[in-house]
Amino acid sequence: MFQRIAESSVIDGVDIQLDGEIYHIPVTLSVAAAVLFIKGDEEYRRHVDGHARAPFCLMGCCHECLITIDGEPNRRGCLVSVAEGMSIERQLEGSQDDG
Amino acid sequence: MQSDFLIIGGGVVGMAVAYGLVRAGQRVTVLDESDDAFRASRGNAGLTWVQGKGIGMPHYAELSLDASLSWPAFAAELEARTEIDIEHECRGGVDLCFDAPEAKARQRDYAELQSSSRHLAQHFRWEYLDRQALQTCLPGLGKSIHGGTWSPHDGHCNPLHLLRALHAACRSLGMEYHAGTPVLSLSPCLNGFRAATPDTEFHAERVIVAAGLGARTLAPMLGLTGTVRPVRGQMLVTERMPRVEQLPTPQLRQTATGGYLIGDTHEEVGFDKGVSLEVMSFLADRAVRIYPFLRQARLIRAWGALRIMTPDGAPLYEASSRYPGAYNLNCHSGISLAAFHANELARAIIDDRLEERWSAFSGARFDVPAHR
Amino acid sequence: MGELCQAEIAIIGAGPAGMAAAIRLAQAGIRPVVFDMGNAPGGQIYRQLNAPVIGETLSGTDYYRGRRLLRDFSRADIDYRPRSQVWWGQCESDGVSLGVVDSAGASRWHVHRLLLATGSMERSWPFPGWQLPGLMQAGAAQILFKEGGLVPEASPVLAGSGPLLYLLAWQYCRAGCAPQRILDTTPASRYRLPLRYLRGAWKGRHYLMKGSRMMLALKRAGVPIHHGVEALEATGRNRVERVHYYWRGHWHDQDTSLVLTHFGVVPEPQLGRAIGIPYDWHEGQQGFLPVRNASLQARDRVWIAGDGGGIGGALNAEREGRLAALSMLTVSANDVADRERERRRLEHRRATDLAVRPLLEAMFRLPSHWLSEQPDTTLVCRCESVSLGELRRAIEQGAVGPNQLKAFTRCGMGPCQGRECGESVTRLLSTVQARPPQEVGYYQVRPPVQALSLGELAAMATDA
Repeated sequence: MFQRIAESSVIDGVDIQLDGEIYHIPVTLSVAAAVLFIKGDEEYRRHVDGHARAPFCLMGCCHECLITIDGEPNRRGCLVSVAEGMSIERQLEGSQDDG
Repeated sequence: MQSDFLIIGGGVVGMAVAYGLVRAGQRVTVLDESDDAFRASRGNAGLTWVQGKGIGMPHYAELSLDASLSWPAFAAELEARTEIDIEHECRGGVDLCFDAPEAKARQRDYAELQSSSRHLAQHFRWEYLDRQALQTCLPGLGKSIHGGTWSPHDGHCNPLHLLRALHAACRSLGMEYHAGTPVLSLSPCLNGFRAATPDTEFHAERVIVAAGLGARTLAPMLGLTGTVRPVRGQMLVTERMPRVEQLPTPQLRQTATGGYLIGDTHEEVGFDKGVSLEVMSFLADRAVRIYPFLRQARLIRAWGALRIMTPDGAPLYEASSRYPGAYNLNCHSGISLAAFHANELARAIIDDRLEERWSAFSGARFDVPAHR
Repeated sequence: MGELCQAEIAIIGAGPAGMAAAIRLAQAGIRPVVFDMGNAPGGQIYRQLNAPVIGETLSGTDYYRGRRLLRDFSRADIDYRPRSQVWWGQCESDGVSLGVVDSAGASRWHVHRLLLATGSMERSWPFPGWQLPGLMQAGAAQILFKEGGLVPEASPVLAGSGPLLYLLAWQYCRAGCAPQRILDTTPASRYRLPLRYLRGAWKGRHYLMKGSRMMLALKRAGVPIHHGVEALEATGRNRVERVHYYWRGHWHDQDTSLVLTHFGVVPEPQLGRAIGIPYDWHEGQQGFLPVRNASLQARDRVWIAGDGGGIGGALNAEREGRLAALSMLTVSANDVADRERERRRLEHRRATDLAVRPLLEAMFRLPSHWLSEQPDTTLVCRCESVSLGELRRAIEQGAVGPNQLKAFTRCGMGPCQGRECGESVTRLLSTVQARPPQEVGYYQVRPPVQALSLGELAAMATDA
């Protein structure tokens, strides 16, 4: 759903793993931005109420971008930059509980 | 319209008694403080607990045990009335022991308690379980925990939903409720009592002071005991975690929504409901020792709340001998005793038999001012 | 890890206010420690400007104006700590204690003076469907743009009110992905307000001309702009598929996969409130602002500069940062006269720049009854999925204030700590109870104001 504009400057890329698959991603992106770039927003995260949610503010306030980074769940994807070898897993299992 | 009762305080003690009164057809007006007042009702762990209550005062232990037994029916009644899920569960609980001396002292205390009361000897059930035995009811328990005492009478609920359900039930039964209405003074008048607030006055035939720490100034105005002090407890709550089949402990419990509620500190710091880094980190450290799987759990909120402590820690239920019709209720176990407050205690107040029925909890047991 | 770190002055945030303050302090020979949530200095406004991804023709000149600040910041002697989150603070008689988490774990700091330069956040403005994927805040879209040159594949709908909406639309036009349309909740007549605020309009002509130029460019690009949209709703299964809007007496539909909203910005309040700074409702800004004196000091040993103290924009934030630095310095000043001249000059420029604010506030004023007019199913608390209807029910049952309402419904108890629903709850209670927002108040904000794990906290225990 998001694409890079042709006029943007050339940026180094890094390889990250998203749900087991490897992607080459501009190094300036946050984890949240990278997931939006690769997968769009439809399957970003499942909320405690069972519905789909996706990043809303991207600046650390809304906590809608919670995601598992290098095995650690519920991190704010918008505050973490992608890094070479990073492993990202979306939290798509009805989240932490069904309440 | 003049009320039968003025209740000063809209916390869980005042509201439980209010519920018992309005349910019995009494006209009740509750005067409450503002939204940001000290509110133990909103800061507690939600335990409906028997263990450890009344060490050295068997009457209090008996009361706690009986209150625990009447909790399920009370919860069901409130839920049916309000459709609010109080999340009450009474499947037993464990009070953890961190080392051998603590375990030994605990078992000695409980045995002494039972030897001093036939009621407790007969009905208070408990058992000491070592770490190995605890694994079945506390799966994932850390290696540094020594053991704990288990009792089937202990349980937990959602104290916020309890408060909400009491408010909702009382409203539907016709209670008059005024928030942001601090009472400046209480005095007897021709037809009962008068409560002066910044904007107006309220009158009623009888008055109940259920003002928590506010009783320090208000209770003595009617010849009642005001010697309560704040004891701070700090609490942590984590983000929602996968539900685990486990029993609650006073040190931590998992709530119905999945968060872990961590607490049980006692600090004599006056009227300060803040948090301190020392205590927060102590609580976190203890929590991850109890359940090492909590290490990654994110902290969502930390807060301090002030328990209302009487000189001996037991509840205070007193009727003014100088001004008949004035009552003073104060305790730090408003959740555990909620069923009792709504039932027997409210009944005893309606019948004006408080001192007669519950004399062990009268203010007469403390050093009282000479004028009383 | 339980050891105590010390600093004379700490600054939280490295946007224009934090950077300007740090630079000025460094000039005076003080080496401040700067805690920044970001990966590089710049804050939101100058995000990624240290290694820009988009050129000046796309971003507009305001973005690139920050380069001077970034250069001075990088050259000054400053203890800059990116990726550091301050999760706890407490004022003490001899300074302020802070709890900081970074990649190395949690640490405790004691500083003699503290500057909060934590900036603003986008105002939450609930309407049905605002929680759906495919609906983001305009600020988020700008972050994607600055961070990676990312723009929507399909033409988005922009909705709401305020200058940022038009800046984003203009940037998207330049980048070749013009919005489908702009649903502006500001009535058209408001854009004539400058005629009534002549003095402010003259002093703020730079802002107004920039606005008119952008609007003109959008019209030339053929982007339809609907002024005076009164209600919004986003619908779709699992994500936004359509936006509905009430305009000129009728509901209209527009198919779209992306809606970007903006309803102004408000100070990010968490840390300020958590350390006990009082906040007062500001009618013009329609939100709570920290109470500060003329020297931007909020309480003993604590200053607040930039949009975190009230919305004034990037230039004002920079001036406030320098003013706060001067005020923090006077304690040990030896060249008082020079600093006094500098302070007066800054004050004068700041006042001139801020003169346009009442006009902007009046132009982009949001309808204060908006929330209470939404349907019951509208989510107010996104984290705990608490709907407007549930809040209304709890209010009827005796939740008379924000904290009782939070206790009764879990509204504000989720991971965002009430950032997204706090002012909505104040607004709702204000409307329902016919009380001014100031009297209704706000949540008691509790630590942690940034996430940390029990393990990180446990490592700070004294006996660990």
